[in-house]
Amino acid sequence: MVNDRSRDIGPFVPGPDDDMLICRCEEITKGEIRKAVHDGMWTMTEIRRYLRTGMGLCQGQTCSRLVKGIVARELGVSPSELEPATSRVPMRPIEMRIFANEAKDGEMNV
Amino acid sequence: MCNTAEVVIIGGGIIGNATAYYLTKLGMKVIVLEGSMHIGNGGSSRNGGGVRQSGRDVRELPLVMYGIKNLWPYLSEELEVDCEYHQDGNLRLGKNDSHKAILTKLADNARSCGLDVRMIDGDEVRRINPYLSEEVTCASWCPTDGHANPLTTTLGFYKAARKLGARFISGEKVIGLKTIKGKIRQVITENNIYEGENVLVAAGYDSRKILGTVDIDVPMTTSLLECLVTEAQPHMFDQMLGTAEADFYGHQTKHGSFVFGGSSGLEPFNKDNGTPVSSPRTAPCICRGIMKYFPNLKDAKIVRTWGGWSDKCADGVPVIGAISEIPGLYAACGFTGHGFGIGPGAANQLAKLIATGTTDVDLTELRYDRFRAKI
Amino acid sequence: MKRFDLIIVGAGPSGLSAAIEAAQRGLEVVVFDENEKPGGQLFKQIHKFFGSKEHRARIRGYVIGEQLLEEADKAGVKVVLNATVIGLYQDKEVVVKIGEEIQHYKGNSIVIATGAAENMVTFPGWTLPGVIGAGAAQTMMNLHGVLPGKKVLMLGSGNVGLVVSFQLLQCGCEVVALVDAAPRVGGYGVHAAKVARTGVPFYLSHTIVKAEGDDHVTGVTIAEVDDNFAFIPGTEKHFDVDTICLAVGLSPMSQLLKMAGCKMEDNPKRGGQVPICDEYGRTSLPGILVAGDVSGIEEASSAMIEGRMAGIVAAEYLGYIDKGTLDKELDKLSKALLDLRQGMFAPSNRGKAITETEEGIAISESLLRKGYVDDSEIERFPGVTHQSGVHPVIECTQNIPCNPCQDACPKKCISIGDNITSLPIVLPDSECINCGMCVASCSGQAIFLVNEDLGDGTATVTLPYEFLPLPEAGTNGVALGRDGKVVCDATVVGVKSMKAFDKTNLLTMRVPKEYAMTARFFKAK
Repeated sequence: MVNDRSRDIGPFVPGPDDDMLICRCEEITKGEIRKAVHDGMWTMTEIRRYLRTGMGLCQGQTCSRLVKGIVARELGVSPSELEPATSRVPMRPIEMRIFANEAKDGEMNV
Repeated sequence: MCNTAEVVIIGGGIIGNATAYYLTKLGMKVIVLEGSMHIGNGGSSRNGGGVRQSGRDVRELPLVMYGIKNLWPYLSEELEVDCEYHQDGNLRLGKNDSHKAILTKLADNARSCGLDVRMIDGDEVRRINPYLSEEVTCASWCPTDGHANPLTTTLGFYKAARKLGARFISGEKVIGLKTIKGKIRQVITENNIYEGENVLVAAGYDSRKILGTVDIDVPMTTSLLECLVTEAQPHMFDQMLGTAEADFYGHQTKHGSFVFGGSSGLEPFNKDNGTPVSSPRTAPCICRGIMKYFPNLKDAKIVRTWGGWSDKCADGVPVIGAISEIPGLYAACGFTGHGFGIGPGAANQLAKLIATGTTDVDLTELRYDRFRAKI
Repeated sequence: MKRFDLIIVGAGPSGLSAAIEAAQRGLEVVVFDENEKPGGQLFKQIHKFFGSKEHRARIRGYVIGEQLLEEADKAGVKVVLNATVIGLYQDKEVVVKIGEEIQHYKGNSIVIATGAAENMVTFPGWTLPGVIGAGAAQTMMNLHGVLPGKKVLMLGSGNVGLVVSFQLLQCGCEVVALVDAAPRVGGYGVHAAKVARTGVPFYLSHTIVKAEGDDHVTGVTIAEVDDNFAFIPGTEKHFDVDTICLAVGLSPMSQLLKMAGCKMEDNPKRGGQVPICDEYGRTSLPGILVAGDVSGIEEASSAMIEGRMAGIVAAEYLGYIDKGTLDKELDKLSKALLDLRQGMFAPSNRGKAITETEEGIAISESLLRKGYVDDSEIERFPGVTHQSGVHPVIECTQNIPCNPCQDACPKKCISIGDNITSLPIVLPDSECINCGMCVASCSGQAIFLVNEDLGDGTATVTLPYEFLPLPEAGTNGVALGRDGKVVCDATVVGVKSMKAFDKTNLLTMRVPKEYAMTARFFKAK
């Protein structure tokens, strides 16, 4: 989808609930997310990389839907027009010592 | 909207964004075309964040030294984005004599270019970074190296360039270039045609295909690089780290997480079947590597791993500069997995080259037509 | 590397169902689940399920869980617990964390049945301790035996909000209000009615203004919203609560599919990011299948059928059955699934304002606005009839796919017919023997046995009662109406508990005869 980042989305207007936490893991507020959109961060991926939303322990399980709603509203589009959050291994946080500890073939323990 | 600019830049990574920024600062009209949906989606966002001079090939060293001296220290303030730049030195770690030999050679090369790099022993290493295990017996130490946040830096250049009027268009996949009367003129995308007096191709590995449409070839291939990141940890150290064995590299971020890159050794042969490319063998391997150096990180939780393709040039250094055969055409590609730290310097000089025809750093060694047969 | 015919991620209703079907056809199947107990959400579901016999209707969720585990075991399925699948890689390689190590496996086919996670909504104070998901409350209560709080406000009137509200009441919590921003109750009317008649007030077109408290929830303010979901000033209402439960929908946990490279879509009708798949769960990657909530939010009964489909599809994909057999079996299951997707709450009706039942009867507006059928509306429904002597009164007023009541009556007094969503009717001239089987069989607790006139100015009402302690015969109290308000004094005549009732106790109370058709719950004094 061609996305001209010079499209006018209007000015940033401060809102009364801008200080509300949205991403709990990384403590990112609604106002920060809205401002990031006006800084040009127009995709969920850019927002994530710019602010760290959804990059904490829960990997966006809680906030990705909320962030998407805020970004969509700021851009004046439907949330489903924005790309879904990224998914990366591991599905759940895993200690380095366990991730490092691969069972050897032939030692499968199922 | 008008699809014509003084400069059309292909690629919205750190090179494209930063060049757009420096060009708009010089008063030029710029359009940046990004093929993916996201600005900064390639290697610019998928790297370990090193801003280092040590360990580099002498041909590209002057350019990165230029950036570290003149650009990096002021970048956060200039872009109004926290680039999280730290200039607290780089330790390249070794565990045995053969490592020491590799490191010594790299350090000697760098010193010949005027860079302060010296070899230190295990005890001195642990005075600088007390968390390193006894396995570390030597290191090269470059106190002026450092690291930064590739995500905020890349997007910061985008933000600042956009604010100055550079036009960015994502989802605009370039199919080819076209010359008019012997000069570069058109950039043809899947949906549109853009025109510019100058065109900069800075599209990572895709640059090869794009340049190929005007019969220019940069000998490069792709290689997978993988990284992982831990949950936030208490602050431990600020140096950038690497190893002689290249089993891992990385740093602790301002946020507290550790970002480490590494390899399984199979990277040149990884399969790209169109699906996401992380290999199930690599992250465990990186973890094993890290724990040998930092036993106390064993309980740190990995929250994310990722991979990305780097554009690996035949001789290990990038092609940066004008393509003299085609007036108006410029390239910056083939950064071979170490394009982030050098990015601002390269972009700054490219902008100057495009705007004025001159540079402060000699780019001759990085020209596109340097490749020769071995005999 | 060890290779299985089928690796299933998630031992919930869909995953286990897929495993059973595949293993019964000869596949070597392993199921990984990150939890210490299998069953997914089933073991939290202490209520009876809707549907027909083949959907395991009128059986409580946790019992279905036990049945599935037994069937899986019999079929030779390996269920590995405390096994977190951390990645799904190229070439169908699954990386699992088991204990202190990670293990690599390959699946000739893979079924992702990871279910869904709860959504959150934001309001000032939403991050205070005490604001929890309704599913989390259910986990605390039903799996861990921990009370989530004492005074609870529930946000969300879908089936999760309604069912969990009832379970909170069963645990002895006070549910101070059930709140929803939508103008109509989202879940089954019968679920709403059983909550409303205990006295829980419903606030539709309301939502939370703020949660109060410094370091934990001590109160909550709600307010009415207009058509644009903006607060109407002056409509604020405050409640002292220690817990706010959010039942505002679920999102598919589809991350593994995305990381494997399946084509995904953001589909609000399916609840969020879901893999693009065909009706039998085949994704864009050959051999990778999905079943249950991960491919679209529904409920456990349909998840079980989707799971069975996926298991059979995998069997055909790997050559254990032929295409003809596959088509025949899928056809059968498709019909069962279609049955569940009928009625007013069918996925195809989502977002539509239905005003009439299939029979052409006006829907109770009161049920949708307040959670209960108003006394003035109840008589128009075919299950509500009058006879001398004891007879069933069936307050089932919406077309939902459920029919255990018609089989429950040994005297065939109740009929639904072939169309599973039809409203039950009480056949005229039928002979009720007051056995109570219909009352206990109704998963919606919507059937009452009423003797409208005992001849002494009193009536008896027998109602389903799932609260402890059970009041003894002779206990005096009050009868509450459908709206949860006191209608009259009442005395318990007796409480019947039988194995066949499956923990639904039948409480019979005596009330003045004029309240026979309005008294619907008993509260001891």
